[in-house]
Amino acid sequence: MKKYINTADRIVPVVFILILLVLWEYLVKLKSIPDWILPGPLQIVRTLAENAPLIARHAQSTLLECLAGFIVAIVFSFVVAFLMDEIALFKNAVYPLIVASQTIPIISVAPLFIIWFGYGMLPKIIVVVLVCFFPIAISLLGGLAAVDSDYLELFRSMQAKRLHVFRMVKLPLAMPAFFSGLRISAAYSVMGAVIGEWLGAKQGLGTYMTLSQRSFQVDRVFAAILAVTVLSAALFALVSFIERIVIPWNRFTEK
Amino acid sequence: MPEIVVEGISKTLGGLLTLGEINVNAADKDFVGILGPSGCGKSTLFNIISGLMRPDQGCVFIDGHDVTGKTGRVSYMRQKDLLLPSLNILENVSIPLVLKGLPRKKACDQALEHFKQFGLAGFEKYYPRQLSGGMRQRAAMLRTYLFSSDILLLDEPFASLDAITKRKMQSWLIDVFNQINPTVMFITHDVDEALYLCDRIYVLSECPTVVKLEIKIPFCRPSHGRTIVDPVYGVIRDAVMEALAI
Ligand SMILES: Nc1ncnc2c1ncn2[C@@H]1O[C@H](COP(=O)(O)OP(=O)(O)O)[C@@H](O)[C@H]1O
Ligand SMILES: [Mg+2]
Repeated sequence: MKKYINTADRIVPVVFILILLVLWEYLVKLKSIPDWILPGPLQIVRTLAENAPLIARHAQSTLLECLAGFIVAIVFSFVVAFLMDEIALFKNAVYPLIVASQTIPIISVAPLFIIWFGYGMLPKIIVVVLVCFFPIAISLLGGLAAVDSDYLELFRSMQAKRLHVFRMVKLPLAMPAFFSGLRISAAYSVMGAVIGEWLGAKQGLGTYMTLSQRSFQVDRVFAAILAVTVLSAALFALVSFIERIVIPWNRFTEK
Repeated sequence: MPEIVVEGISKTLGGLLTLGEINVNAADKDFVGILGPSGCGKSTLFNIISGLMRPDQGCVFIDGHDVTGKTGRVSYMRQKDLLLPSLNILENVSIPLVLKGLPRKKACDQALEHFKQFGLAGFEKYYPRQLSGGMRQRAAMLRTYLFSSDILLLDEPFASLDAITKRKMQSWLIDVFNQINPTVMFITHDVDEALYLCDRIYVLSECPTVVKLEIKIPFCRPSHGRTIVDPVYGVIRDAVMEALAI
């Protein structure tokens, strides 16, 4: 139970990370490792601060691609999960395909999207959709399938229509599972966008990373990595926040 | 006249003849108990009466109409409360009214009128997970009642409650049912609960299940809620126990 995590449990990981950072800084200084090989954490933060406006501009495009891809993936997941849940034939036909599609490495197909759709945002959004769709759809589908059949029988005995059952019973009961899938893909979505940008883009953190890396500005690469991390964490937090609003009842545990 | 007549029901489940030939009935405002060993097909019988399942043979008549395999006439409550965790108690309870086509607001208003009678006043805005098992069963009972108020099938409604809560719920049930006077079929595997609540009891056998004993209870639903001291009680209890081969 989350409530009973005491403060010591919270402090421990923070202290641990601080120790690691101090160690890193100390080693870089002690061995006088040059910045273009491995900058220390302080230097990374300094670079991030100096380049803040530029990085923010790149982050903005990345964020836009994430959100767009994320929303498309959600809509798509809902449609597919609904159809799969209602139509057994559709599920039997499509489910194996979706699982199999996960064995294709995104990094190997992403260049094709650049060829087909150019250097704009669209190919990145597609990559984000592909990365996010699977965790969302699978968790939603799992949630729908896990609904206790006694609920369904009860509603059948009350002559509920299928759509009513879906809206009143299945969908709400599947929401906790759906949100756990959503949180996973929130973190993945940034990665998807960055991968898309690596392969060719005018804007975005991925572009900034490749440009910096080519000119051996390793501190900038790290600053971009930091920005990516912050972005992922922010999206994760956003999803958790929305979850609290959409399913407030899920905070109560079974007595 | 809300009465149930079950004629010659038989059902094979998973290759096993579960229900032999079952004949049971409940007259208007009857409170009929169904006792039987676990797995003998009591829930299956209710699934058939409620129309969720078709029997292999036999018919179910309610108010003189053949309703075999048709849902919607009776309301059916189970051991699990099956309240939706996503809705508060008031919204949960008004579900049957919403399903019947009432606007949400009106359904809630109508459901609200019964909250006091069912001992739920003050709990309207709570979510099911915030309530105790007893309160949840009350809410489930009210939801059942709001679907069909005159014929209720209750499948071990108190089986998951602790002994003290169970006893409280039994006298609560007597209290409420004395006001609403429904026709009830009540499954239980608790002999004392059956003797305490029912006008009449059917004792079922092991599979293939048939009615082994039908017995009238002369002292059902005592208003005081205490132990029944009538000497006939022991005689009837023994007869039921014997039929159950305990
Ligand atoms: N859908 C089903 N398919 C196959 N067997 C079933 C099915 N439902 C119940 N059964 C079996 O039928 C028997 C009677 O079940 P049930 O009516 O739930 O018993 P009771 O309620 O008396 O404990 C049990 O042995 C159970 O395993
Ligand atoms: Mg049962």
